[in-house]
Amino acid sequence: MAEEFEPKIVAFLCKWCSSAGSDLAGVTRMEYPSNVVPITVMCSGSVSPLYIFSAFNKGADGVLVSGCHPGDCHYIKGNFYTRRRITMVKKLLEYIGLEPQRFQMSWVSAAEGTKYTQIIKDFVKELKPLGPQTKLRRNP
Amino acid sequence: MVNLEDLKKETKKILEEERVKYIIGYKRGSNGLMPVPAFIKNPEDVEKLIWDPACVYNLSRFLVDEKRRKAKEKKPDERAVGLIVKGCDSRALNVLLQEKFINRDDVYIIGVSCENTGIVDEKKLAKKLKGKKILKIEYSEKDNFVTTTEDGKTEISAQGILAERCLECRAGFPVIYDVFLGEKAKRKLDNPCKSLENIENLSGEERWAFWKEQFDKCIRCYACRSICPMCYCEECVVDTINYAVATDTTAEEKAQRIKWIEKSPVASENIVYHLVRAIHLAGRCIDCGECERVCPLDIPIRLLNKKLEKEARELFGYEAGLDPDQVSLISSFKDEDPDDFII
Amino acid sequence: MKRTGVFICRCGINIAGTVDVEKVAKELYKHTGVVHSEDYIYMCSDPGQNLIVEAIKEKKLDSVIIACCSPTLHETTFRNAAKSAGLNPFQCEIANIREQCSWVHKDMEKATEKSIKITRSAVERVRRNESLEPISIPVTRKALVIGGGISGIQSALDLANSGFEVILVERSPSIGGHMIQLSETFPTLDCSQCILTPKMVEASKHPKINLMTYSEVQEISGYVGNFKVKILKKPTYVDPDKCTLCDECTRVCPVVVPNEFDIGLTGRRAIYIPFPQSIPATYTLDIKACPGLLPIACGKCEDVCEPNAIDFDMKPEIIEEEVGTIIAATGYDLYEKELMSEYGYGKYPDVLDGLQFERLCSASGPTMGKILRPSDHKEPKEVVFVQCVGSRDPELHCAYCSKICCMYTAKHAMLFKHHVHDGQAYIFYIDIRSGGKGYEEFVQRAVEEDGVLYLRGKVSKIFGDKGKLKVWGVDTLSGKDIEIDADMVVLAMATRPSKGAEELAKKLKIAIDKDGFLSEAHPKLRPVESVTSGMFLAGAAQAPKDIPEAVAQASGAAAKAITILSQERLYHAPTVAMVNVNLCTGCEMCVHVCPYDALSLKDGKVEVNEVLCEGCGTCSATCLRAAIQIKNLTPLQVHEMIKACLGG
Repeated sequence: MAEEFEPKIVAFLCKWCSSAGSDLAGVTRMEYPSNVVPITVMCSGSVSPLYIFSAFNKGADGVLVSGCHPGDCHYIKGNFYTRRRITMVKKLLEYIGLEPQRFQMSWVSAAEGTKYTQIIKDFVKELKPLGPQTKLRRNP
Repeated sequence: MVNLEDLKKETKKILEEERVKYIIGYKRGSNGLMPVPAFIKNPEDVEKLIWDPACVYNLSRFLVDEKRRKAKEKKPDERAVGLIVKGCDSRALNVLLQEKFINRDDVYIIGVSCENTGIVDEKKLAKKLKGKKILKIEYSEKDNFVTTTEDGKTEISAQGILAERCLECRAGFPVIYDVFLGEKAKRKLDNPCKSLENIENLSGEERWAFWKEQFDKCIRCYACRSICPMCYCEECVVDTINYAVATDTTAEEKAQRIKWIEKSPVASENIVYHLVRAIHLAGRCIDCGECERVCPLDIPIRLLNKKLEKEARELFGYEAGLDPDQVSLISSFKDEDPDDFII
Repeated sequence: MKRTGVFICRCGINIAGTVDVEKVAKELYKHTGVVHSEDYIYMCSDPGQNLIVEAIKEKKLDSVIIACCSPTLHETTFRNAAKSAGLNPFQCEIANIREQCSWVHKDMEKATEKSIKITRSAVERVRRNESLEPISIPVTRKALVIGGGISGIQSALDLANSGFEVILVERSPSIGGHMIQLSETFPTLDCSQCILTPKMVEASKHPKINLMTYSEVQEISGYVGNFKVKILKKPTYVDPDKCTLCDECTRVCPVVVPNEFDIGLTGRRAIYIPFPQSIPATYTLDIKACPGLLPIACGKCEDVCEPNAIDFDMKPEIIEEEVGTIIAATGYDLYEKELMSEYGYGKYPDVLDGLQFERLCSASGPTMGKILRPSDHKEPKEVVFVQCVGSRDPELHCAYCSKICCMYTAKHAMLFKHHVHDGQAYIFYIDIRSGGKGYEEFVQRAVEEDGVLYLRGKVSKIFGDKGKLKVWGVDTLSGKDIEIDADMVVLAMATRPSKGAEELAKKLKIAIDKDGFLSEAHPKLRPVESVTSGMFLAGAAQAPKDIPEAVAQASGAAAKAITILSQERLYHAPTVAMVNVNLCTGCEMCVHVCPYDALSLKDGKVEVNEVLCEGCGTCSATCLRAAIQIKNLTPLQVHEMIKACLGG
C-alpha cells in the first residue's frame, strides 16, 4: 500500500499570540500532526505576500498565517494590516485556481492552545485529499 | 470634442512662456496608424501633435525616466514637464503623486477627454477592417470612429473596436489636470468588471487551467514591467538580473540578494512573478491596460490586476488613483474590514 | 562562512522521549556552516551551559543554536551563556523543539524529522544574524501625571516623595477629581473631603510637584525617557497670588450657569471658585460664560476686585516640558444622561444620578447635607435606587460591569436612612457584587440595620405621576410586577472613560479598549503599563475602580515609573528596522503603517527612529521594494528559513 500523503505546511506565527498559543498547546500536552513547521515572526503584520508565494514555490502544500485577534495585537494594529494584505493574497491565489484550502489565516491568542491544535488538525485533514501542491511549486 | 487646434495652442503657450521644459504628447509615427510619443521642446513643433483614438500610450511612464534622468544631472532644469494625459493616465499620475514619486510641481498636466468612447484596440481594429491598411482613425461626434483606409473614409461603431479597459472605464476624462480639453462624461456601467465574469464563473480547476496556459506562454521579457508606470522600483524584488548596484554596494550586499524566483521562464516561476507583480499593484493599478497591450504573448495580464482592483473596491471601498492624498490600500485599514475567511 | 554550533537539549525525557536527539545532532552536523553539534540532558543546567561556553571557545564558534524549549523560557539564559564566552548575544538563537514539537507529537520518526527542520531553519537564520548592541537612551528624570483626581494625586505624591520632579496636569480649575464631590466613602463611611483634602494640599505644597491646573496636554512627542510635552495653560484671568478669596467678584457677576461641582443642582457665576477647598485656592473666570472680557461688555468683577487680581489680558500659554515617563490618570465620567431617557433622567428633576445624590448628602452640598427633592425641597420618604443603569447591557448600552455601583448604592441607601429615619429605600439590582474588604458586611448592614429593601430585577419605566415618580419593575425572584410611588429615584449610571480620554489616548499613543478605557499592556501581568513604553495607567481611566483600587494602581504606576526614572540610561532591543536607501523611493507606505511613529521621511528616504521602533516588521511587509527590513529577521533570513522548513 502506498504511504499516505503527508502535506508539508509552513506556519507563520506571530511571537506574542499564535506562537505563544502553540507553546500552550505544548505545555498542556495536546497532540496534533507534525506536518506543520512553524516560523515565528514578531508580528503577523510582518508576513510579506512574498513569503507566502515563496513557501508555495518551494514546495509547501499549505501555508498558514496566524496572528493575534483583531484589537489584541501586541503592536497595537499590525494584524489589521495583515488582514487586508492577506485578504488580497487569498483572493489572488484562489483566482488563479489554487485550492482555497491551501492557504489559511487564523487568529490564535496565547490562551488558545486548543484552537491552534484544532486548526492544525483540520488543516492537515483538508490538505490530505488534495495531494501535493504542484501549481506554484518549482520543478515538481 | 477635443479640438486639436486648442491642444496645440495650449501647449504652444506654455512652451513659449517657458513654464515647462518640454511636452510629452503624441505624434504620427512613420509606420501607419499607431502614433508614437512626441517630446516637444520648440513651440513651433507643436504642429506635430495629434490626438486620436490610437493614442494608446500611458505617457506618465515617461515621468519615471525623467525623474531618473534629472537625478543624474548636475544642474537640472527645475521646470515642470508638460504631459498630455487621458483619464487612466491621470489616475496613474495621482498614484505617483500619492507615493511621492513625483511632485505636483514637476508636471504640468494637459488633460484630454476620451470623447465618451475611448482608445482603439489595434488588434480588434485590424480584424474589423479585415487586413486593410488603416491610415488614420478619428473621433466622431456620435460615439463612433471614422477610419481612413485606401478605400476612403468609413464611420464605424466604437463599441466593437474599443480597448477592453475602455469598455470598463468609469471616467474617460482626467481626474487631475492643469488644463482640460473636451467634455467630462461620467459613464454608467452595469458591471465595471465584466471582463472578469468569464473567469470568475469557472471552477477552481478550470481557472487554473486557464491561467496555467497563459503563464506557460510567458517568456519573462518584462515588457509588462517596463511599460507600467507603477513599476518604478529601482530593483524589482523578483529580479536577479537588473540589480541596482550603487557605488557603495558591497560584495556582501550583492550576496544578500534573495532569489525569490528563478530566472528561467518556466511555469512555476512565471506564476510567482505575475503573482508578485499583481499583489504589488493591488490598490495601485489604475487599469491603463498597457501591460496587456505590450505583451508579445497576449497574456491577459490586465485580468489579474482587474481582479484585485475589484476586490479592493468591494471589500475595502478603495479605488486607486482618484485622490493623491489618500493613504494607500495596504497601508490603511478599517476596524470593520471583512475577515470571514479567517479562522 | 560562519561557524555555527548546535546544541540539542534532551530536557530529560521531555524532548528525548519523542525526538531522537542524537539523530538531530547528526543531521545538523551535516548542515552547511555547522561545525559543532551535540546533545545534552539539560542544556539550561550549569554543566549544560558550560558545554556551550567551552564549545564556543574551543571550536571558535561565532554563532550558536540551542534546540530546546520555547525561547520565552531560556533565550536569555543561553544568550547570557554565549555572552560569557565572548559571543554577541544576538549570535544565539533558539529552536523550539519542545513546546512546538516533542510535547505535541507522539511519532518519534516524524517528531525527529520536524525537529531537524526547525533546527535547520534556526541555523539558516543565525548564519545571517548581525551582532547587535542594545540601543542606549538617556532618561529625563521627571514625570508627567495627567489628571488631578485621587489617582493622579497619589501617583504624583509617590513620585515626588521618591525624589523625582513631577508635573501634575489637571484640566479643571481644581484638583480633587470626582472623589472630592463625594459625601462619604464606603465601607467605612468616612468623609471623602476630610481624607482627600490633606492629600490635595500636600500635592500643591510639595516642592517636587509642579501643579498645573486649568491646563491640558496638547501634544506629546518623543519616547520613553525622553518625552516632549506641550501643555496648554488656559487663562483663568485671575492672578492666584493676588486673589484674597474675598468673594466680592461672584456677588457682582451677572451670569449664572450650572455648577459642575454640584452636577447642575446649583448654579455658579461666570467667575467662580469650584468649591471652598479648591486647590489652588483661587477664582477662575469661565470665559465661555462671561459676557465679555472688555470692561465695555461687563467688567463688574474687575471693578470690585480690591487687590486687582483680575487680569483680562491674561493669554493662553503653551508650556513645553521634557519628561521621562507619563502616567495617565484621566478618570471617569458617568454615562451620558441623554441615553437613559426611559428612566426619565433629565426630564424629572427628582431623578438623580449617583454623583448628584452624593452632593445632596454632602454637608457642603446644595442642601447643606439635608436630603431634599430638587423639585420642591421636600424630604423624600420613598427612594428607589436603580443599579446597573447602562451597565451590563450589551444590546443597548455598556456590556461591562461598572463595578463601583453595587457598593455606592448600598452606601446611598444607608445614608438616606441615616438622614431620613422614617424613609424607605428600595434597590433594584441584577446581582450584588460586594467583593472587597468589609464590602459584603457593609451590604448586609444596609439590609439588616437600615432595612434597605433589595429587589432583584430591572426597572422598565419611570414616569411622573401626581407629584410622585412611578417606578415600574419586575421582581424576578417572585416573578411579580412591582410598582412603587417614589419621591426620588437615584440611578447608578455606568462609569465611562472621561470625556476627552480617547483624544488624549491618541496623543499618547496608548491603545484604548472596546469600551474606550485605556488599555493595559497585559490584563494580568502588566496591569499598570500601557503598550507604549514609558507610559503608565492609573485609576478609573483604565477600568471602573473604587478608591482603594485606584489608589493602589496609582502607587503601582508610580513604582513602575520609578523603574525608569531611577535609571541613568535605558536600553532598548536593537532588533529594529533598517532602511536600504538605495531601494527606498520614499512612498511613505511604511510610515503610515508604523504603530509607533518610528518612521519618517527625510530627504525623500525613510529614516528609522531606533528608540521608538519596536521591531514588529509591519513596515517590511508593506514595502514593495524590500527597502526596509528588521535586523536579524530579514526577508533573506525568512526566505532561507522557509527553504529549511520545507526540507530543501
